[in-house]
Amino acid sequence: MVTRNKDLQKTTESLLKKKDSQAPSKKPVSVPGDNPVIYPLDLPESDARLQTPAVGARATRPDGRLHGLGQTKYIDDMSFPHMIHAKILRSEYAHAKIISIDTSAAEAIPGVLATLVGDEIPVNTFGPTFQDQPVLADTIVRHKGDGVAAVAAVNEQIAADALEKIKVVYEPLEAVFDPQEALKDSAPKIHGDKTNIYTSKIIKKGDVEKGLAESDHIFQRQYSTQMVEHVPIEPHASIALWDGNGRVSVWSSLGRITLGREDLSRTLSLPQSKIRLIGTIVGGNFGGKNEITNEPILALLSKKTGRPVKCVFTRGDEFISSTIRHPFVMDYTTGVNNDGKIIARKIKLILDGGAYCSWTGTTIGKGSILAAGPYNIDNLFVESYAVYTNKTTTGAMRGFGAPQVCFAYESQMDEIAEKLGIDPLELRLKNAFTEGSASPTSQQLQSVVLKESLKQASDRFGWKEWKK
Amino acid sequence: MRPLDYIAPKDAKEAVDLLLENSDSSCPLAGGTDLIVDLKHNPGNITMLVDVSCIEEFRGIKEIEEGLKIGSMVTFGEIMSSELCQKYIPAVIEGAHTVGAVQTRNLGTVGGNLVTCVPSADSAPSLMVLESIVTIIGTDGYKSMPIEDFFIGPRKTILKSHELLVNILIPKKNLSKPSKFLKHGLRKGQALALVNAAASMYLNKSDIISEPKIALGAVAPTPLRALKAEAFLEGKKYSEEVINEAAEIAVSEAKPIDDFRSSAKYRCDIIRTFTKRVLIQSADQAKQKN
Amino acid sequence: MKVEITVNGEKKIADVSPETTLLKMLRDEFDLTGAKLGCDVGDCGTCTVVVDGESVNSCLMLAARASGSEVLTIEGLATFQKLHPVQQKFEDLGALQCGYCGPGMIMSAKNLLDKNKSPSVDEIRDALAGNLCRCTGYTKMIEAIQEAAKEINTTNAL
Repeated sequence: MVTRNKDLQKTTESLLKKKDSQAPSKKPVSVPGDNPVIYPLDLPESDARLQTPAVGARATRPDGRLHGLGQTKYIDDMSFPHMIHAKILRSEYAHAKIISIDTSAAEAIPGVLATLVGDEIPVNTFGPTFQDQPVLADTIVRHKGDGVAAVAAVNEQIAADALEKIKVVYEPLEAVFDPQEALKDSAPKIHGDKTNIYTSKIIKKGDVEKGLAESDHIFQRQYSTQMVEHVPIEPHASIALWDGNGRVSVWSSLGRITLGREDLSRTLSLPQSKIRLIGTIVGGNFGGKNEITNEPILALLSKKTGRPVKCVFTRGDEFISSTIRHPFVMDYTTGVNNDGKIIARKIKLILDGGAYCSWTGTTIGKGSILAAGPYNIDNLFVESYAVYTNKTTTGAMRGFGAPQVCFAYESQMDEIAEKLGIDPLELRLKNAFTEGSASPTSQQLQSVVLKESLKQASDRFGWKEWKK
Repeated sequence: MRPLDYIAPKDAKEAVDLLLENSDSSCPLAGGTDLIVDLKHNPGNITMLVDVSCIEEFRGIKEIEEGLKIGSMVTFGEIMSSELCQKYIPAVIEGAHTVGAVQTRNLGTVGGNLVTCVPSADSAPSLMVLESIVTIIGTDGYKSMPIEDFFIGPRKTILKSHELLVNILIPKKNLSKPSKFLKHGLRKGQALALVNAAASMYLNKSDIISEPKIALGAVAPTPLRALKAEAFLEGKKYSEEVINEAAEIAVSEAKPIDDFRSSAKYRCDIIRTFTKRVLIQSADQAKQKN
Repeated sequence: MKVEITVNGEKKIADVSPETTLLKMLRDEFDLTGAKLGCDVGDCGTCTVVVDGESVNSCLMLAARASGSEVLTIEGLATFQKLHPVQQKFEDLGALQCGYCGPGMIMSAKNLLDKNKSPSVDEIRDALAGNLCRCTGYTKMIEAIQEAAKEINTTNAL
């Protein structure tokens, strides 16, 4: 057990003591009205947080107390007088033209206060890289997670029932689900009519063909990774309130509120000065809550009804409608000399982008730059293409493309080590970055302790003994 | 959830009558760990829940003359903490322990698990290798049958919509019979079985196998007894070769499918391995008793 | 329908529709928002509360079914004077990050320690199998539960 800093403990104790004397009884904290008096919400900063360097010291989380008491207020724990609830109807098809949307039957249900469709949204596009995503699809649905209409009702169940009454007429279009298929000329085009490639990157260093020709061995393999959903335990949630002065307040589980406010401003055609976006404590983000989802919809439903409107994604919404990790298809060709020195590496990455761009710009950048691994390779060629498919939109997730390429290059390193009969650790040490090494994009790297880290780690888990 | 009526009848007969009167719209509620999920997301035409979980006749674990009687509304949590179950039917506890997680085991009932009748039901294999008898109640009164006859197909039992499972009897001759249950899921908790398996057997002093029983789950439309493998083992002297051969026969009896959880081929590998393991561990227990 | 229930030691009455889950009643009728809705199907465990001494998924239990029961929620664990040892150790060891799984996780841990005074790591893992956390990797929670067990045993021994 690590004891906390004694002074801190003392301060906390005295604080608790002080509050004790104010406390009226020994009743559990759930007694209505009595809740807040005891909590040391002004918990002193633990010294560790103030220390420089803080390395090696244990820091207590400032929000840890309320988390443990179950008193942290996430969006779904908040409510306002007269608050109503919204639900969003998702597409029936992976790819289709919307011919018509009829919400009249839904509106006729008692308890339904308003509906919303895409063409009621002032600027119906958003996106953190480029704005290719509709808030609610109005002309074409490009994946099953696309919202096509929203309902606000006095409770969630009525809103959910009303969704079933909305009549959407679609004209199904040919869909494409495999990024490699989507590259073909014959593939249906998901945005525009030219190509499904929506962003690409090329990195060149030295002469990769010459390097490969001069290598003793060539290793070639294709690797692929799958979709991953963030699955935050708290689903996406927000509450919007459009007030009488034409200003909108939005409480949201969004991680990037300033960017969210820009997107809200665009989509609502409202100056940012009229938008207040309040980020609450987020119940798990992992990159999945870095862009707006239902916020403009709720704002407009609030404008229509004059009521605060809440929407919490169902777990189903969370899986099909929120972003996920990009699946990668990765072709690696690596030239290695007999001694294990990597001479050249040629890489082609295809990123399955799903229906919209989202954070692909960042993902393709990071994925490409890191694709060769932390190894000194004089001759390098990386080409990467992000491709639209009629699937769930891929976006930010922990590491932005780094885990995918890491799986590929480290798998190949193991294959090289096995084939050449070199210890896998030795192979990595032989090629690893050192102080001052240049990254594939010629960034001079500093504070490089890769070799030391590998050695220490392998010592600690007993690599040499394990090898025997 | 959609609006529902909720009725908690006082006894089995009242429950049966209610279900019969409202046969188009009603459904018995046991632990609710499957049913409530269905009602939230896919309610169909159910508008009335008949809560049978508190009916006294369906509750409790009792040792009676004929054996050990487990009420259909006994939760997995109750089975796990029951001293009678620990003493007489440890393999049933092993099966119960692999259902869901603590919270679902405290709600979920053994009867609910059997009536839901998914091929992967974790309570089924152990009860099958102990040759359990189930008793049901309907308008004609009580009926009893071997547990295998209770299962008809995936999510389909012999019960008519107004009939209810009353209890499960583990016959006296099989109490404390050497037996073992194993499950293979993608994680230890909260996962459906890719394959589950149970076995029971006796060994005499000269290691001759008698009354071997093998049951497999998630390998066919219903939980399955590997009858040919059992017949092969009967009267044989226990050895590694004999067990291996029995496992091969069990694989040939199963009809696993490819689905998103597992390929049929992988399931066959697991059937082979698990059949061996449950047989070996049952035999180990038998040897200890000798 | 009328549901009479004891929550955190206090008798409460609510008039709810029959399809109301225990979770919904706790949150909407009693303002006890500690237990949360995570998956709505009994997989994630963030709705965990203790009913008559047994932990359950309150999202899968009808409020009607809990009528007459004693329910303990995360809000009933601490007193004005003191955090529950599990809460204290979770805080000290930084066992929670985003915190959304916390109320359920702590209730499961508390329920485990009520039944098993010194659980092994395997027993703790088994008891937490129905509580998903996406931030922490569970290691700190397991440490915290072991620390809490020690503290409870020391306090009881005194």
